[in-house]
Amino acid sequence: MQKLLWAECQKLRRSKMVWITVFATVMVAVIVFISGGVGYSGIRDVDRVGWYMTVVQPLATLFVLPAVIALLGSYMICREEQEDIIKSLRLIPISEAKLTSTKMIITFAFSILIYLVLFVIALSVEAILHFSDLSVKMVLGFLKAYTLDGLGVFLAISPIIALVSHMKKSYWIALVVTEIYSFAGIFMSMSNTLRTFYPITAIFGLSGYYEATAENLMGSIVVLLLCGCFSVFILKVLKHREKNCNRLSN
Amino acid sequence: MLKLIQTEFMKLRRRKLVWLMLLAALVMPLFAFIYFNYFGETGVDPIQFYRWSAFGYTLWIILPFVLGTLCTILMYDEKQYDMLKQLWIVPVSKMEYIYSKFFVVFIYSVCFMLITAIASVLFSVLPGYVVFEWGSILYLLKKCIEIGVITTFAILPILAIAASQKGYILPVCTTLVYTFLGFFIVSINPYLHPISSMSVIIMRSNDIPGIVQAINIPLAFLCIAIWDIVALLVANISLERRK
Repeated sequence: MQKLLWAECQKLRRSKMVWITVFATVMVAVIVFISGGVGYSGIRDVDRVGWYMTVVQPLATLFVLPAVIALLGSYMICREEQEDIIKSLRLIPISEAKLTSTKMIITFAFSILIYLVLFVIALSVEAILHFSDLSVKMVLGFLKAYTLDGLGVFLAISPIIALVSHMKKSYWIALVVTEIYSFAGIFMSMSNTLRTFYPITAIFGLSGYYEATAENLMGSIVVLLLCGCFSVFILKVLKHREKNCNRLSN
Repeated sequence: MLKLIQTEFMKLRRRKLVWLMLLAALVMPLFAFIYFNYFGETGVDPIQFYRWSAFGYTLWIILPFVLGTLCTILMYDEKQYDMLKQLWIVPVSKMEYIYSKFFVVFIYSVCFMLITAIASVLFSVLPGYVVFEWGSILYLLKKCIEIGVITTFAILPILAIAASQKGYILPVCTTLVYTFLGFFIVSINPYLHPISSMSVIIMRSNDIPGIVQAINIPLAFLCIAIWDIVALLVANISLERRK
């Protein structure tokens, strides 16, 4: 497993994908900052302490980052099939289920990393705009929220990435489905019940963006964990099928 | 040119995802239906319903995203299977190639918006939220066709990026950022981005609530034209270089 992780990291290092994803994250931060230049009754939104750090996370989560993370995950999974390397890997031999699990772990780490990049950008902007008003407690609170966002987004989209590993060559479907899935969060947030149980909005309950009661918080955690379990189940089915195929070929 | 367009459509027939993406046209009419059902309102103003189902997020997010993805798919396929060389041998000119793709996106965009219009009428009239009137339906159809046509021009920069890149990751990420920018920049200055300029053109009669700033139609067209001319130049230069 360690070797597989190392190999995946090496492959990612050579790919432009990571930089493109970071570029998308930086652009999201810039766009939100520009939109914060508009204000009501003489005060711009960005001039309010904490506004930028509070608003960047839901907007990035509802519109851009889940699709980008799903794209990265599905790209890594479909890459071998697409570039016809999977046959060489099977000859080694490498378990496809283990390979997919490794890619899922990398996607998980990347999801948290992307949100940490977003946090660093947001914190830097806040520090430049109102350094004196920032407190350690506030910064740590946001750090926790962004990290939980990264974790939650991975759990919420993991079933889609796991399904891609089943279908292969279907990274387009993963992208389109994830974008609509995350975008639908805007409407799900209108109802208290739906926003607790819809995975994308459940992330905000978990991270603390929404004020949630203990029951709602538990509901959100359970939903996200169920998403994670569902993707593990899909990967297990994949492993089972692989074993059956090997037995038949023997 | 017509043969080239016909070939493009024949290629599309084999792509299931392109047809599946048309289902995205039903997303906002469905959410509008759920929204009005949640509040239990009847006798709703048709514009109010259509603002939700066709003139809102469909215009800002869904259609530009779907068209951006379609542009990337159309361009990526030939590069992936190394078909471009054969096209240049035929010979097909670089601009003809771009125009044929653009035409496919154009037809797709109009069809997408017509599906949205039909779904909007079905989801509003059948449950009784909106009273059936030919006037409002024709207005919706007119606006949807306008959206379909202008969005194609607004998404041309993505087609150019897809043409200039070998892979699909950058065009797709750019589509996401481009759409996001178009949606948020409208409150700052709608004449900087083609998608926000498009919304100004669509809402020119002030009959759809949304834009509060003064409307300047020539400036909106100028913005789209500048972006499109630059996009066509970039696409042409990058295709020439790859030769």
